[in-house]
Amino acid sequence: MNDREFYVNSIFKEMHSTIDSLYVTCNSCTKNTLLNSLRKNISDLSVLLQGAQNDVQKNNTANAPDIISSPNKSFTRAELSRYNGKNGNPAYVAVNGTVYDVTNNAAWAAATHFGLTAGRDVTREFTSCHSGQPILSRLKAVGKIVT
Amino acid sequence: MNEKNINCPNITMRLETASVLVNKAIDAVTMNKIQKRNLIWLELTGCSGNIISLLDGADPDFKSLATQMVKIVYDNSLMAAEGEFAMEKLFNMLGKDYILAVEGAVSTKDGGLYNVIGRFKGESITAYRAIKELGEGAAYVIAVGTCASDGGISAARPNPSKCVGVQDLLNRKVIKLPGCPCHPDWFMGTLAYILLFGEPALDERARPLMFYSTLIHDCCPRHPFFEQGVFAEKLGDETCMFKLGCRGPVTRVDCPIRKWNDRVNWPIGDNSPCIGCAMFGFPDKMKPFISYNTT
Repeated sequence: MNDREFYVNSIFKEMHSTIDSLYVTCNSCTKNTLLNSLRKNISDLSVLLQGAQNDVQKNNTANAPDIISSPNKSFTRAELSRYNGKNGNPAYVAVNGTVYDVTNNAAWAAATHFGLTAGRDVTREFTSCHSGQPILSRLKAVGKIVT
Repeated sequence: MNEKNINCPNITMRLETASVLVNKAIDAVTMNKIQKRNLIWLELTGCSGNIISLLDGADPDFKSLATQMVKIVYDNSLMAAEGEFAMEKLFNMLGKDYILAVEGAVSTKDGGLYNVIGRFKGESITAYRAIKELGEGAAYVIAVGTCASDGGISAARPNPSKCVGVQDLLNRKVIKLPGCPCHPDWFMGTLAYILLFGEPALDERARPLMFYSTLIHDCCPRHPFFEQGVFAEKLGDETCMFKLGCRGPVTRVDCPIRKWNDRVNWPIGDNSPCIGCAMFGFPDKMKPFISYNTT
């Protein structure tokens, strides 16, 4: 991870945390402080994006690294089941056909989450509990499910 | 880490929330600005751990609550009356003003026959009947502890007596204070707020925001270890216990700040992972409590 990616990830993390705080705060002063914090984050991201665009133009190459990587590995359900977070394997889960890495996701301690275990397609459970919540965008996509 | 945190106004204010509210309520009662209201404490299907926890309260303590803030009409663990006399005191409150605090889940199988809390006029009074009759008429209903809030351990698989949380049986709002047990501050602070101002601000699961607004993970003194990827490999390691199965990241309550037993310590402070006892779904959905072969 280069410095720019590190800063972008840090800013995204801070923004998610700020948004979480906005959901629960009732105090208008606190809300304004949090909104100002979001504006500052957006400003910082604009600067970083501009820098990235300048670098791409400077290098004039199609091989410039993307800030956001795209998933390209395919998993069968049997393959996915091996990524259960046990015995040295990373913890992956599938939602709506995309496979996500939850190995170091805080809500997946010991590769388990509210009775669910990693290595499975959890689309049904995700839809019933987290529909409309900005959760998947925080997870690193690592591949697609193939049938 | 803790000594540094104590300078944070957020933490200092949170530590004082319950005592400030209780002192204000006591002052208001003393100055006749508000009435001393009746409190009924029902112990249903559980372990009585919440009343034990309440008795362990310090600043504010239980004595202040019982003598200066409310009139405790019924609590089977604490009251002098027993048998028919006690049940008469309980059912005499029907139609009057009272706040109902409930600990323990409600057994529903076979009409609630698996938890009889007393006999009145020759009839067995089940927990199920008590909550149905006293719950709808209360000014406020407070579910104290995880069993009353969501079924908790009493409703754990295979749940042979078909226990449920109080809310499942009442067509009214139930303020929920999950925790196994409920911290004395959470109950006394909520009760004092009700006496002073009415219903406190609640989250979407009816938990008071003043106590349940932040994740344990977000206030954990070991959070920096999580950010740096420094994880405990066994109990006793003084780093982040995420890989051992710590449920702090999904449990919303203020244990890291408030601590327990006169604010001496709390589970993670004593090298034990959070097992999510204050989270809905505990214990079944918080398992495994400890895990050693994770990546």
